[in-house]
Amino acid sequence: MIRLQNIEKVYRTDTVETLALNSVSLDIAKGEFLSVMGPSGCGKSTLLNIMGLLDMPTKGEIRIGDNKTENLTDKQLAQFRNKTIGFIFQSYHLINDLKVIDNVELPLLYRSLSAKERKELAGKALEKVGLSNRVKHFPTQLSGGQKQRVAIARAIVGRPEIILADEPTGNLDSAMGNEIMDILLQLNQRDGTTIVMVTHDENMAKKTHRLVRLFDGSQVQ
Amino acid sequence: MIRHLFKLAWNKKKQNFLLITEMFVSFIVMFAVFTLMVFYYNNYKTSMGFDYDNVWVANYTPPQNITTTDSFQIFHQSLGNMVRSMPQVNDISFTSANVPFAMSTNSTEVSFGNNRHIRTNVYQTENDYKKVLNLKMAEGRWFTDADKITGKYTPVVINSKLKESLFGNTAAIGKIIREEQFDEVPPADKYRVIGVAENMKDKGDYQEVENGMFVAIDTGWMRNAGNILIHVKPNADAAFEGRLSKALSNAIGTSIEIEHLDKKLQSKNLLMLVPLIIALIVAGFLIINVALGLYGVLWYNINKRKAEIGLRRAVGASGADVSKQLVGEALVLATIALIIGTFFAVQFPLLNVFDLPAGVYITALLLAVLFIYLLVLFCALYPGRQAAAIYPAVALHEE
Repeated sequence: MIRLQNIEKVYRTDTVETLALNSVSLDIAKGEFLSVMGPSGCGKSTLLNIMGLLDMPTKGEIRIGDNKTENLTDKQLAQFRNKTIGFIFQSYHLINDLKVIDNVELPLLYRSLSAKERKELAGKALEKVGLSNRVKHFPTQLSGGQKQRVAIARAIVGRPEIILADEPTGNLDSAMGNEIMDILLQLNQRDGTTIVMVTHDENMAKKTHRLVRLFDGSQVQ
Repeated sequence: MIRHLFKLAWNKKKQNFLLITEMFVSFIVMFAVFTLMVFYYNNYKTSMGFDYDNVWVANYTPPQNITTTDSFQIFHQSLGNMVRSMPQVNDISFTSANVPFAMSTNSTEVSFGNNRHIRTNVYQTENDYKKVLNLKMAEGRWFTDADKITGKYTPVVINSKLKESLFGNTAAIGKIIREEQFDEVPPADKYRVIGVAENMKDKGDYQEVENGMFVAIDTGWMRNAGNILIHVKPNADAAFEGRLSKALSNAIGTSIEIEHLDKKLQSKNLLMLVPLIIALIVAGFLIINVALGLYGVLWYNINKRKAEIGLRRAVGASGADVSKQLVGEALVLATIALIIGTFFAVQFPLLNVFDLPAGVYITALLLAVLFIYLLVLFCALYPGRQAAAIYPAVALHEE
């Protein structure tokens, strides 16, 4: 599903060159649930951004499905992200000025769907994460766990084949974290969604199919 | 997407209130400026209705030592003959002080049927006044010597605008016009229309055509007549002007002043443009302030909303989509301000404020709407493009 070959990422400033990823190669199968672990600053989020086509590697090749991604234009990359990838972030990244339902609808705005269709799909996604009763609330009226469930609903509303989750339980207590993990496992098992999750939590990582460890930008496991 | 933009604008109404107010005030100011500009432009396009090239006006104080009406008549005849006899002079006409492009006005109120209290300029003229200014007749005729015979009604020539005000589309020739007295006194039949002249824009290029009525100078008026319109030949130069001035001064015995109508027009036009220039300066400063404010707020918004921009990029927005969204949001705010502004602006034609034609207000309104949209678009384009250039991975790290 996702193939990374010899991925290298270097961040350059005027005076400093930082090697964030050093020759990382990964094959992630369709329907796999992979977790990425490693200390802070080891390149986990960089790897996820590169997988999510939010960032470009300095060297190496990324294939998602049968698609090579290096020659895609900004517009093509955006469309690819919109249709294939769902993102979940540690800090939720909800838009506080929009209601829950409008936040969930967000990826669908960039597809040619009617308002009715968008609303219907967003409603179903919220139902999946158990938040049907919160559609008209604003994010500021929700708890951390509820916010993350809204973020999951937003990630799955467009029925992507891949979900990239960057420390989805990092801001939550263990009970809330388990709830979120259960939803992700369900998405993986029931819908066959490929999930790549960055986490610091060994217990969460143990629940996934495979664990990849990074250290100083290199894959160590 | 448009619905989404309106939703965002509505949900952020408190934050957007000042921005909308700023746009609304700018719209109202621009509406006022454009109203003035459209009004002036429409007037400018209207034909002057007479020729002022090579027309001079000699202003003098009538001599005080002549006491009888007969003596005044003789004095004017000899003065007129003296000027006419000069080789550089084509025609002359004694007239009242409200010569074209002068500050002086002379007006009265007339009525016909139910059309009461119609204010009109009154011009005291002679038979050659039409020739001096090359006035065009729309109907009927100009004054002749036969009109000097005193009758029941004073013969008058009116302009097309007054004809329309008094008679609408019906014929004017031969009709009797009443002159309004004080409110408690009923108007008395006084004038008989013998001709309709084309409109004369005698207050300058930018002035609206006003009602006008030409009356032949009678002997009573001769005592006050202190203005001669002189149509000179193109070769009339400063040396001739000096000779003319000297000859008139010797004949009249008081100081005289000679002015050229084309120069009077220039100074009158400048005077008419003063309010527009002031309005443009005030509006210019305001617009610069609004543009800088708008630009600053949009720039600030982008920096404040980097995480949101990153998120939108992650869920499928291209750089162009982000740019369009930010420009769209600014245009939505402008639309809200313009809807409120238009509500107030349309009251002007509806309530006939300042008695301007509705077309002037409507044109000004459309121009002001277009101007505000262009201003907002101009101010939003660059911040929008900057937002499009934000790298999504970097933006997503902003909290």
